[in-house]
Amino acid sequence: MTATAAAAGTAIEAAALGKTYGRRRGPALDDCSFRLPAGRICAVVGPNGAGKSTLLALAAGLARPTAGRLTVLGGAPAAARARLAYVAQEKPLHPQLSIADTLRLGAELNPGRWDAALAQQVVEEGELDLSVHVRALSGGQRTRVALALALGKRAELLLLDEPMADLDPLARHQLMGTLMAQAAEHGTTVVMSSHIVGELADACDHLLLVAGGRVRLGGPIDELVAAHTLVTGRGSAAELAPHTVVESRATGRGTTALIRPAGAIAAGWEAQEPSLEDLLLAHLRSPGAPALLTPEAAPRAESEVPA
Amino acid sequence: MSSSVIKGTRWTELRLHRRALWTTVAALALIAALTVFLRWGASAYPSVDGECGGPCKPTFLGFANGEHMLQEAMGLASMTLLLLPLLIGAFVAGPLTARELESGTHRLAWTQSVTPTRWLASRLTTAACLAAAVAVTLMAVFRFGAADLFGRWNMGWADRGVYEGTGPVLVAYCLFAVAVGALVGLLVRRTLLAASLTGLVTGVVLAVLGSVRWQLWPVVQASGPATTMEPHWMKVLPRDAFMTDVGVTNAAGERFIARQCTPDQMAHFPCPSDTRIAGWFLDYHPRSHFWYTQFIETGIVLALAAAAVWAAFLILRRRTP
Repeated sequence: MTATAAAAGTAIEAAALGKTYGRRRGPALDDCSFRLPAGRICAVVGPNGAGKSTLLALAAGLARPTAGRLTVLGGAPAAARARLAYVAQEKPLHPQLSIADTLRLGAELNPGRWDAALAQQVVEEGELDLSVHVRALSGGQRTRVALALALGKRAELLLLDEPMADLDPLARHQLMGTLMAQAAEHGTTVVMSSHIVGELADACDHLLLVAGGRVRLGGPIDELVAAHTLVTGRGSAAELAPHTVVESRATGRGTTALIRPAGAIAAGWEAQEPSLEDLLLAHLRSPGAPALLTPEAAPRAESEVPA
Repeated sequence: MSSSVIKGTRWTELRLHRRALWTTVAALALIAALTVFLRWGASAYPSVDGECGGPCKPTFLGFANGEHMLQEAMGLASMTLLLLPLLIGAFVAGPLTARELESGTHRLAWTQSVTPTRWLASRLTTAACLAAAVAVTLMAVFRFGAADLFGRWNMGWADRGVYEGTGPVLVAYCLFAVAVGALVGLLVRRTLLAASLTGLVTGVVLAVLGSVRWQLWPVVQASGPATTMEPHWMKVLPRDAFMTDVGVTNAAGERFIARQCTPDQMAHFPCPSDTRIAGWFLDYHPRSHFWYTQFIETGIVLALAAAAVWAAFLILRRRTP
């Protein structure tokens, strides 16, 4: 693969990325490294305060990292500004504008890119009147207008911070459908953050688990799940070597553990495939467990990164 | 606001602050209409010398006559003009800049296809053009209203308010207010606090420069021997000159004020040891110094404005990649 082709195939790449706000607070991101291939629908999950919003804001070019390097769409985040769209967690919109004027703002600020028909279609699917002012909208309606603004930009990379948090299930299903259809049609990379696992599991094919300012798990969801095994047996966790034990708990009959198998599992242990939720919860409960990035989610070595 | 002419960031700024824009236009129209009315009143009901022995009865809307009312109004207007930079600065700092950062809508603007630097540059130029336009309009209205009053008491060319309102310094102060407003808005990020702080900073600069401006250009000095004392110095001073200092000198040429030092020194006044009057002196700015002072002061204020703009861009560049 040539350097340019490699760059085109990468949506976001972080190398030892760090961000600290102010001198007194601890780092929001600390030594965060991962690679997100282009064209994925990626869920960024993690507890509140894990650094998800910081990661998305850095990728959107809204803040400067205090350490490390971040590459977006093959270049610096600021250079990718026109090719990415970002929806902040609070869905900031100007309350004094009507929906029509909000979309007009998108057209004026994105000359040559704006897809007015698509933006209007997203708004109309929610049965919203274009003349209504943003200040009169409910939380869910605001989200729809903010997403319309982001989709109208026809971006190659969509960064959505907690996009579905204040939508009712019907609107969530509908908006997710629109989003996925657009992403599939144009090969858009979508990055969505959430602290609710189930919210994004169905729609996404890629996962980044962020906790404590680092990426704990990164890769295609099916590969990540396949790399783990949930075992139950009479023995103790110490007997599970040489497998990597992510988390083990004593249960009534013995031990239940989530492991990354290194070879065949010994007789006497009952193995089963964990659910995504099992996987995430086990990693969140054991901050000491080693991080796992699948080969395609691991950042390339410095020499391979195009300058 | 024609949709075909105004595009991009310019459109968003004017659309977002449409209400403030129309309010300003309406206020300017109202002020212009009021001034026309006052001028009409002054010409229709002028004051007549010796019209009423003693204080006149209020006959014209609570004033002695139309001319008197125009005079009062223009005296007030000259002072109110000094508030214009404060108002402009507060608007730029608060609603235009800090409110975006406070409500998070800057993240909306900065993730479209426009860089934060262009966003700020566009806002600054729009605000600067509108501020200058408002200042020039109000100055024109003031000149029209006070055309027959210049030179009267409190309406001399060097009087505070009149001096600013009749030269380029007021426009410079308005541009300075725009620059400081943007800087403070970016720094403080709280609408009300940024607006009040900018008003304060602009007011302080206006007051400080107002008190040092007569030292910016050297005064004309006149002096003569004590024998030509009273009648002479009144003749030396040109009719429309602005006198900054007057007093007497002793044989050594030391300046003092006769009344404070003779026959005995009054408390808290500086007096030389020799208080025998040998001559008089007079410091003044002739009318021609108006433009020198205006241009030097305008230069200083614009340099301060440029420094504030530079600092605002520096802060923005440090914050965003």
